[in-house]
This record gives sequence, structure tokens and C-alpha cells, in this order.
Amino acid sequence: MNDADTDADTTDRLLLQRMAGGDRTALSVLYRSYHGRLCRFLSRLTRRADIIEEVINDCLWIAWQKAGSFHGDSRVSTWIMGIAYRCGLKALRQHGSEPVDEDSIPEDRIPSHDPDEDRELRDWLGKGLDRLTVDQRVVIELVYGVGHTLDDVAVIMQCPVGTVKARLFHARVKLRNVLPGLAGATSVTREIAP
Amino acid sequence: MRMPTDTGRECGRAWEAMPWVLQDSAPQEQTEWLMSHLADCDGCRAEFEQQKRLRLAMSLPADVSIDPELGLRRLLARIDAPALATAPARAAGGSWLTRALVAAVLIQAVGLGMLGAKFLAEGTPQPVYRTLSQDAAPLPAGAIHVVPENGMKVADWNALLRSMQLQVIGGPNDVGAYTVLPAGGAAASTKVVQRLRATHGVRLAEPVNANP
Repeated sequence: MNDADTDADTTDRLLLQRMAGGDRTALSVLYRSYHGRLCRFLSRLTRRADIIEEVINDCLWIAWQKAGSFHGDSRVSTWIMGIAYRCGLKALRQHGSEPVDEDSIPEDRIPSHDPDEDRELRDWLGKGLDRLTVDQRVVIELVYGVGHTLDDVAVIMQCPVGTVKARLFHARVKLRNVLPGLAGATSVTREIAP
Repeated sequence: MRMPTDTGRECGRAWEAMPWVLQDSAPQEQTEWLMSHLADCDGCRAEFEQQKRLRLAMSLPADVSIDPELGLRRLLARIDAPALATAPARAAGGSWLTRALVAAVLIQAVGLGMLGAKFLAEGTPQPVYRTLSQDAAPLPAGAIHVVPENGMKVADWNALLRSMQLQVIGGPNDVGAYTVLPAGGAAASTKVVQRLRATHGVRLAEPVNANP
């Protein structure tokens, strides 16, 4: 954890303490702080904005109710992402999962400031994520998108570190074999299998 | 990625280190080692470039547009009215189950009502069982107690029953007596008793009515 992460976690813990005392302003600060990363994280699970918003609110509703019982065994962000992951899986069971399909995104859902370069990057990424399982997408998002460690991801997904390693490995191999572009040599699957 | 045998292990090590170097959580010496490896390995360098591109793509904001302020207002409203916010959700989630349970209870109630009406209409039936405290069931008129000799064969006993058209309705009891009923009922009983008494192999033949 670098200094920025430490500072952020300290701030989050203070917010949780205030939330445990019923401070809604603290909840609002935490909500705005986590909305973006939760939104992107959950968008790896489903494309439906209504479900994403529902899961974000379920997640922070639980954080509000359980703020007093947070003992600090992990970072606040790890705790919240774990809640979001479980809420997201529950929502998928209730509403049914949908494949990640960049082509199905309505134009009005793509930010208007999205420059061509970003759109190209999204398309490139979409081709790869489309081939991954939900759990592989989650691991990729948590490691590359959010920047969590293996241990953090294991806590969030409530599984052994070895399982996270395997998911990450297989996701990377799939992405490497699917994504066109910069690394176009032979597969490394056999040589570096864990 | 080219992986000659002697450098394959190093490329595997590089592969494992890439995500953590990219997210700046790897130890300094690991980062330095990776950089030196990349300088000599075209394959790993290309892989690392793709990893960087992947990280860049993953760090783009969500392409699903959701207004955080609207969501926050909804959450605060939910907190302000927890009973109103949670009760309908539970009701909606369990509505089919509730309806199914109500239907099952109604069907049970209708069934019980029909059974009750049937019993009332037929009156209370006599039970088909008999308790030990009840008197023994009365024997039909014309029944006869018969005690065959000990040495009588089963085949002979059966032949005797057939020839006299007797049906065994009880026994043998503790003393080896059978209760038989002539096909002619009470009217034929006296004659049958006499014939039985005259039959070889029958130790005792006595009308049931003769024993008070």
C-alpha cells in the first residue's frame, strides 16, 4: 500500500466512524468517492444501468448499516468492494447475467467527451473482456482497474489467493490470445503456467 | 514471446511481475529486475506494452452513465424511510411465494371441509378393528369345535374338510381345537357333528352353542 492508499484509507475509516454515528454528510462523501469505481466495477458484471445503480445503493446501504461493525481487518475499499461484489452476484442471480457487449451500448450511454482514442481503446478491451468469465472479468478489473493486490482480491471474492492467481493467469492468457495488437508472438501458456 | 529454454523461467517471472509493477505495488528490486529483463527480451517487452494498454483501458471511466447525485438522493430517502423502502421490496420479492402459500392453505381448508361433510353425511362408521377390552366377536350360528387326533395328517384333515364342506373359521386354539362352519349353516350343523364324531381321526366334535 503506497502513501496515497494509506491516506485514502485513513480518510475512509474516519468517514465510516462518522457514519456509525449517523452522520449522513459522511455517507454522502463516501458515496461520491466510491460511485465511479463501483460503477465501473459493476459494469464488468452487467450492462444495465438500473441494476448497477441498485447494486451501488444496496452496497452503500449495507456499509451505512454496518459501519459500526467494521473492525479494520482490511482496507475500507477492500471491504466495500467485497460488499459490492456479493451484491452484484446476487443481482445477477435475480436479473440474469448479460454478456459484456460493447456494440450493445446505446450511444447515449457512452460519455459524450469520449475521444476517438478512448473509444478505440474501449472497443479493443471489449473484444477481450467478452471472452472472459464473470469471475475473470472481476479479477482483471480489481487488479488492473482498481489496483488491488492478490490478497485484497482474495478477501473481496472470499476465495483462496491461489484461486485468484489462477483466475488472473487464465484471464491474461485469454486476453493475450484474443486481443490484437502490440504483443503478437506465440502463446506463453505452457512455459509459465503456475 | 520467444522463450528459449534457458530464459523461459525468467520470462515466466517477468510475466508474474508485470501487473504489480504496473500498479506500482511491486518491490523496487522486482521493478528494476523486470526493466532489465525487458531491455533484453523482445517478447516480454511486447507483452508488457500490451499489459500497459490493458491497464490504460481498464482505467477509463465507466461507459454506463449513472448520476451519482440522483442515486445518493435515493439512498438517503431509503435511509429516511427504511420501513417503506424495504417492506415493498420484500413483498415484491416474495409475492409469488405468498400467493402460493395462501392457495395451498385454501385448498387444504376446502379439502378438510369436504371430508368433514362426508363424515357427517355417513354417520360415524363402526371401526374395522377390535380392541382387547371388547368382547370376542360372536361366532356364526352352526359353528362347530373340532379336535383332530394328534397323528392326523394334514392331507387327511383337508380331505375331511372338503368331503363335509367345512370351512375353518378359527383355531387351532391352545388345546388344538378348530372352529369350523358347515356349508349348510346352522341347519346342517347337527348332522355334521354326528358324522364328524363317527369319523376316524376326530377326537372331539362339539357344536359351539353346546358350550355356554
